[in-house]
Amino acid sequence: MADEDVQRLLCERRYGLAFELILQRYEKKVFYLAYSILKESANAEDVAQDVFVKLWQVLPLYDGRAAVSTWLYTISRNTALSALRAKSYRNTLPFEECDPPAVDPEPGLRRLQLKEVLPRLSQIEQEIVTLFYLQQCSVEDVAGMLDVPAGTVKSHLHRARRRLAELMRS
Amino acid sequence: MNCREAQEQILASFEGDVFPGQRDALDKHLSECATCSEFTALQSQLDLFLREQIIAPQLSASFRAAVRAKIASKSSHMLPAWLPDVAYVAGSVAGLALCAVLLPFAATTVIEMGASVAIVVYLLQTFLRTALQQSIE
Repeated sequence: MADEDVQRLLCERRYGLAFELILQRYEKKVFYLAYSILKESANAEDVAQDVFVKLWQVLPLYDGRAAVSTWLYTISRNTALSALRAKSYRNTLPFEECDPPAVDPEPGLRRLQLKEVLPRLSQIEQEIVTLFYLQQCSVEDVAGMLDVPAGTVKSHLHRARRRLAELMRS
Repeated sequence: MNCREAQEQILASFEGDVFPGQRDALDKHLSECATCSEFTALQSQLDLFLREQIIAPQLSASFRAAVRAKIASKSSHMLPAWLPDVAYVAGSVAGLALCAVLLPFAATTVIEMGASVAIVVYLLQTFLRTALQQSIE
């Protein structure tokens, strides 16, 4: 069972140790999840910090019914979506860290920028496409982070790829 | 294999889903179908484009320290998570004490009162737990 050690520590009410383990294990994934929604690393990092503060507050309420990771990802997604709504990032989508492509793509692609095409997808498709490439193309990881079946991730990915290919062609 | 099946196979291949039994059928279809060949080329370009554009951001080195500092500064302003448990124990102790005092004088009243206090204490801790969850979410 995943996070057995964390669950044991929580049962023993050793919240400090459990928290440190969770922080080490999930800081990057929580950050990526926030980044997939906010598209801006500074804000994603702020949100990730808030997520862990919230987690610290609710650790004693953990009842073991869901996996710790599922619980953490739910808090992360809700917090990031609230931040997105609060600051209306939807229209800006900076993706400020993106470098220009290293290799020369096809002419049709050269004009495209991620920040222009990604907003044409639905919110969940944007998250899935971003997480898929951030997570080294692991469908299972993305499914775990969004708490949806792997098949759902695949069907969203396929729909997103078809839509993006249409945009590229046009 | 028709075009729809072929294109689903092509899309699945970007997720590492390769179906060996259908590889030959897919290759045969692609050698005969210009539309699906074009689809494959376009999807390969898209995959390359996304790999290059979606770059993993780096967490700052001070991330954990910042989390600990936030916890230290904010924890005093939030409802403590142990509050429902303390409320439950305190309410139970108060109820028991009251029952112990009154039991020799009115046994029936004490039983009714004990049940009422148990319900009130349960509702109180449920309310506190819900309030705590809402303050987090």
